[in-house]
Amino acid sequence: MLLRPFFSGEGMAVMKVLNHLEEWFITFLMGGATLIIFLAVGHRYAAGLAIPGLQDWLLGLNFGWAQELCIIMFVWMAKFGAAYGVRTGIHVGVDVLINQMKTPLRNKFIIFGLLAGATFTAIVATLGFNFIWENGMHYAVYTMLGLDTGVVPQGPTTPDLEWPTWAVYSAVPFGSSLMCFRFLQVMVNFIRSGELPHHDHGHVEGVDEDIQVALASLSASDTLTPEDISGEKPRVDRKEDKR
Amino acid sequence: MSALFIFGILLVLMLTGMPISISLGLTVLSFLFTMTQVPLESVALKLFSGIEKFEIMAIPFFILAGNFLTHGGVARRMMNFAASMVGHWHGGLALAGVLACALFAAVSGSSPATVVAIGSILLPGMVKAGFPMKFGAGVIATSGALGILIPPSIVMVMYSIATNTSVGALFMAGVIPGIILATMLGGTTWYRAKKFNYPRQPKASWMERLSTFRKAVWGLLLIIVVMGGIYSGIFTPTEAAAMSAVYSFFVAVFVYKDMRLKDVPKVLLNSANMSAMLLYIITNAVMFSFILANENIPQELTSWMIDMGLGHIAFLLAVNLLLLMAGNFMEPSSIMLIFAPIVFPIAMKLGIDPVHLGIIMVVNMEVGMCHPPVGLNLYVASGLTKMGITELTVAVWPWLLTMLVFLVGVTYWPTMSIWLPTVLGMM
Repeated sequence: MLLRPFFSGEGMAVMKVLNHLEEWFITFLMGGATLIIFLAVGHRYAAGLAIPGLQDWLLGLNFGWAQELCIIMFVWMAKFGAAYGVRTGIHVGVDVLINQMKTPLRNKFIIFGLLAGATFTAIVATLGFNFIWENGMHYAVYTMLGLDTGVVPQGPTTPDLEWPTWAVYSAVPFGSSLMCFRFLQVMVNFIRSGELPHHDHGHVEGVDEDIQVALASLSASDTLTPEDISGEKPRVDRKEDKR
Repeated sequence: MSALFIFGILLVLMLTGMPISISLGLTVLSFLFTMTQVPLESVALKLFSGIEKFEIMAIPFFILAGNFLTHGGVARRMMNFAASMVGHWHGGLALAGVLACALFAAVSGSSPATVVAIGSILLPGMVKAGFPMKFGAGVIATSGALGILIPPSIVMVMYSIATNTSVGALFMAGVIPGIILATMLGGTTWYRAKKFNYPRQPKASWMERLSTFRKAVWGLLLIIVVMGGIYSGIFTPTEAAAMSAVYSFFVAVFVYKDMRLKDVPKVLLNSANMSAMLLYIITNAVMFSFILANENIPQELTSWMIDMGLGHIAFLLAVNLLLLMAGNFMEPSSIMLIFAPIVFPIAMKLGIDPVHLGIIMVVNMEVGMCHPPVGLNLYVASGLTKMGITELTVAVWPWLLTMLVFLVGVTYWPTMSIWLPTVLGMM
């Protein structure tokens, strides 16, 4: 199988780079968007303070684009984060029915679900690509290559930043393609090893070990709220996992 | 006809266990390809524009703030403060747990986060003090549900996205019902603790109370930042959410120093993961409700309901039953996004206040979180206590019953929810 190395996941150096890039990218977008809105609001009020020099400088800055940039960053975060979410198994489903089934049948449904995910994201990626192609990418690529653009429209730009809309919207085809790839990857791993990127319903990582420790050492400590459970903090990020 | 087709496909796809977002999306696509002439482009446009609203961006910010608060020792200090205030009454620590959940709910927008934050601190303390584990688990699993009723609340933001209701008004409307529910849960706790003679804490002196308050004040101030900021118009709800994220980062890392700077990227990544999942559901739910609206399904349902002679009392009862049933299978955000666009037009026709409807829906979500098979709070509590879901279900019933009584109250007494935002001039 030629494709096999691509789906083998962990071992491949390329996969590792892709994984890290993905994580690093959405972490950056999350932090960046927060910082931008914080600065924009801070600027709005600080510029009202009558401090000579500083006020003039602040009034000279224009943060009108902050809201738009924040939205763009979060849309990108949403699209690529959704792909990352497939890898961490965070996407929630209704598993009441299939959990009643015997394992072989249940496995078939799980594979069906993953295939459905791959199909949907593939369709969205195609639709998305067509959309941005028609709305400016065609023009941009032809111009870049020095080809005759003819009657192809230049496509719109965003209102504040005046970035080409197609570039902003390209998050959809790229994110969806990555997500499709992740669904296939998870599926291949599942067929091979029977394992899903799965999180136990009731398992809140880090917390239960702490509780065990805390319960075991209850006699040792006599504070109201044992400080010794504060070692590794509870991780709530996976609280909604249903798989 | 098309309504049957759409809901039929959605139901079948969801029951196969695939992610809800995917089943929503595939329903839309299969309907588009087979049944209708809606141009594909207009749907493709929704793929992009679906989440391009600044209001929606409150969700990732609130999730980030919640994660910083949970990891950053804010909950522990609130717990200490609550214990020093009410610990000497019947039910002692358990009562303090209800109060701490209410306080934490006022800075965090999510229920399971509240359960984890308070539960992981409270439960070991309660067992040590001599409470049965199931009493503590029952209190925490249900009081944690206050997280989505007491503002800020992610589920309320979802409702406002689905129905174009003001987030600010919804937040304010949640305050009084939140306080009432907290009191009722506290009352149940007190009564049962008295009945079974559970231990009480020694009464704290005012000096001790002041000292625990001073330690918790950084967390408590956040309530003022968010609610005060939104109410006074200093911030929009989204900006308030971003401010609270930065503020909780600052408190966790620099004031309480419970989190190291190198832990921050991990919190960012986890929050991004969670937010992306919710935003992905929103994108697909927006497409879904676009198709519904395009086929006039909510309008048809409305006229059908009106023709049946359904008054507003019967309608609200039906809404409650429908949502409680849905709460058996789905998590709150998805229920909100799927049901709000359907229920909303009918409610408007019957003259029900949009904010009031929102609060009813949120309380329904709360109840749904506390009973199986998909009660998120139960699963989180079960993770904390290592108790089985069945055992926990038995453990929560006194509080669950209290919540159902409260639900009836909130449904048929709109003043409870709409009085405060009306007085404040927000609606």
